[in-house]
Amino acid sequence: MERFLPRFDPRKTGLAVLAPVVALVVAAALSSVVLVIAGHSPALAFQRMWEYGTEPAQVVNILNKASGYFLSALAVAIGFRMNLFNIGVDGQYRIAAMAAAVVGATLTLPKPLHILVIVAVAVVVGALWAGIAGLLKVYRGVSEVISTIMLNFIGGAIVAWAVTPQVFAVLENNVVRTKTIPESGWFPGFTWSGIPAGGSQTVVFGEIYGFIVISGLVGVLYWFVLSRTRFGFDLRATGSSEPAAVASGVDVKRMVLTSMLLSGAVAGLVGMPILLGAAHSFGSQDFPSGIGFTGIAIALLGRNNPVGIAFASILWGFLDVSNQILDIESIPKEIVTIMQGAVVLAVVVAYEIVRRIGVATEQRRVMSTENAAPPAVPPATATADTGGER
Amino acid sequence: MSEHPERSTTAAGPATTVPAVELNGITKRFPGVVANSDVTLKVARGTVHAIVGENGAGKSTLMKILYGMQRPDEGTIEVDGSPVTFHTPADAIKAGIGMVHQHFKLADNLTVLENVVLGSEPRRGWRLDIEGARKKIVEISDRYGLDVDPDPLVEDLGVGERQRVEILKVLYRGARTLILDEPTAVLVPQEVDELFDALQELKAEGLTVIFISHKLDEVLKVADEITVIRRGTTVRTVLPSEVTPRKLAELMVGSELPSPQTSESTVTDRAVLEVKGLTVRDREGRPVVDDVTLTIHAGEVLGIAGVEGNGQAELVEAIMGIRPAEGSVVLEGRDLAGVPTRERRTAGVAFVPEDRIRQGLLLESPLWENRMLGHQTSPPNARGPLVNRRGARADTERIVRDYDVRTPSIDVTASALSGGNQQKLIVGREMSGNPRLLLAAHPTRGVDVGAQAAIWDHLRRARAEGLAVLLISADLDELIGLSDSLKVILRGRLVADADPATVTPEDLGSAMTGAAATGGKPGTADDTDGATDAEGSDV
Repeated sequence: MERFLPRFDPRKTGLAVLAPVVALVVAAALSSVVLVIAGHSPALAFQRMWEYGTEPAQVVNILNKASGYFLSALAVAIGFRMNLFNIGVDGQYRIAAMAAAVVGATLTLPKPLHILVIVAVAVVVGALWAGIAGLLKVYRGVSEVISTIMLNFIGGAIVAWAVTPQVFAVLENNVVRTKTIPESGWFPGFTWSGIPAGGSQTVVFGEIYGFIVISGLVGVLYWFVLSRTRFGFDLRATGSSEPAAVASGVDVKRMVLTSMLLSGAVAGLVGMPILLGAAHSFGSQDFPSGIGFTGIAIALLGRNNPVGIAFASILWGFLDVSNQILDIESIPKEIVTIMQGAVVLAVVVAYEIVRRIGVATEQRRVMSTENAAPPAVPPATATADTGGER
Repeated sequence: MSEHPERSTTAAGPATTVPAVELNGITKRFPGVVANSDVTLKVARGTVHAIVGENGAGKSTLMKILYGMQRPDEGTIEVDGSPVTFHTPADAIKAGIGMVHQHFKLADNLTVLENVVLGSEPRRGWRLDIEGARKKIVEISDRYGLDVDPDPLVEDLGVGERQRVEILKVLYRGARTLILDEPTAVLVPQEVDELFDALQELKAEGLTVIFISHKLDEVLKVADEITVIRRGTTVRTVLPSEVTPRKLAELMVGSELPSPQTSESTVTDRAVLEVKGLTVRDREGRPVVDDVTLTIHAGEVLGIAGVEGNGQAELVEAIMGIRPAEGSVVLEGRDLAGVPTRERRTAGVAFVPEDRIRQGLLLESPLWENRMLGHQTSPPNARGPLVNRRGARADTERIVRDYDVRTPSIDVTASALSGGNQQKLIVGREMSGNPRLLLAAHPTRGVDVGAQAAIWDHLRRARAEGLAVLLISADLDELIGLSDSLKVILRGRLVADADPATVTPEDLGSAMTGAAATGGKPGTADDTDGATDAEGSDV
């Protein structure tokens, strides 16, 4: 019977994978055009980027970058799933990382506890900072887009103020940073060593942040909460239709606040891989502003899906790292920024096209069932027969 | 198997001239489906030609083909005797065919004039020729008696006026043939009359109107000829004088019609819902539901008759806890003041909303997730704080089976279903889990006749088992047939009681508009012994 078609629709899945691939090809093509206009060879540029980006040492860099991007995109995605635009991940992550670094440096605690406290501080501060926007939306109807952008500036100013020698920071080697966290608050990483291509001696390629594991776990948690829990259902329902969610008994105000807090909590984690894995103190060069906005692009590209976001984060990390080589070829590395922009644009267009194709195919399938079904007999009898088990 | 439409003698208008629109052998296939097959239609110039059919019968596909939004796989279209091929609606407009959509496509914050010229702005040199446009609009308005003022903002207009603006907009573009898609769906009775007057004017001026509807009494009133579509093909073209509404409905369905009569009274003396002095205010503080008091007993269907927009939606939402209200709502002895919507639902209040797209469905979610909506905290959909996917899926299969929801699988998104099937899913969902009280707004709106009978059947069975139902419906026969007692709502107040055993749709209709004193006999709603009287239950 046609009603019991397999749940897994290969065509649908194929379309879903096709979209980002097409988008990438379009983005590459656009970048090529720009390169050609500028008088460079696209083939050479891409080849050099690929070679450089797949060197083990750079792979480490890429993964390390990706671990933060991943969290940033998850934070954005939580909001997206319920139609909230948390543009403030950037401010939330920076203020949370700063607070965590300051608290972490003042404490002396045994190892696992120390890390736990630092992470907890980051999560709480991130959540609170986002919660301001949540409260403003719930009680004053302020659009979260506006308030989170504003809070980015305020957060940035607070961070700039805090990271001065008069407040929490110290001046070391002409660089202003907060005090260094004692070693008990460092998250152990994975050292990757091996024999490089063409070499003969074992060298250390680099250290992958141990926090990448936590990032992965947050991804799993995100998936579980959203797709397997009642809370996640309520959240998604609110995102797809607020009036329907209200009628179904969802307290939307509470939902807005909760998801804003959650989004902020995850945003608070964004700075943790680098803080606990490498920097061990807060300084503006290690915690640049912009990662929150990158998260928006990655969440879009990954379609709010944790696996998709993971791939998108790695792609972004790759583009960020591999563009370094272009300078050597005297190709402007800004071409990569153009490419990233093109990816986002192309992806949005491709997803919309795929979505429409999907809807149209489905409607056709449904229509065939509706028309193919036997004419409606007055079902007084028909339903009684099919009552079945209950 | 489709019998060819036998055209009866031509109605009004010169019989010898070529038809304004002629479709021959139109067939439109979607992969695996035939949406239209061998459709043949002749519309004489200067007539109102109605096209009736159930939901999903293929009316809209046909109109999309005629308006250039879709191209037929086979068949020919002729306008004024010459064959045409439409690639886009622009081609259709050029050939003099215009469409007034069911949902208006007007910009609220522009004036009538701006809306009318939008997209085909008259120019004088580089500038907009506002004066020219105004003159033309006033001229069209006067000529066809549309009574449209070019200057107010569209947002300040009523629904009927907006519709006339839409018509004017089409005429402004030079249409000689107008397609009206379910034009009366959004209108109150007076506005319907005004529309019909306007249509007569158009006809008198030699324009042709194709009128799509499934409101049979209206079709019989306004049309010169009626073509019935069933299962994608034209079944017959008849004159209104040859048919009764019942006959027409039978042509549409292809079988005998069910009627919504309840058998015997199952009303008990146990009050399930007691509403006292309920008042809901709008933003400006005006009452939209005004001091409503009513009681529904177990096994009782209380029908609320009223023209749409008289507070029915707000009343239901207040009982659901979606809207703040003054007064008291007591469910089975429990005061629901301050009780949130979710708790009201788990206490056994089920809700079929008036606007299913907005309040009843998650359009982009699969059917089984829509099954959970509103019941996401209780079995079979939940296990503790977790979603019980397997339980929800299995129960969705049951609803699909029992309520004849036509879908290839429960994994398609709700948006893919036709309106009728969406409604069946919602009713099936809300009837699940043994509700104590059902708030049903237009439970059978948009569903085909077969499914309508099935839903009535389910309602009756649940009523016999002690369900209390608050029924809101625009279908007076449904109200009279299903209800054990009736109340009339007008401007937020319950203005009259009626006994469904004796009241006629006409009485009810005048009570709803506040025209007559009352439609029924006040006060005696509890006496329901004779609810099965045949009176007033024609289609």
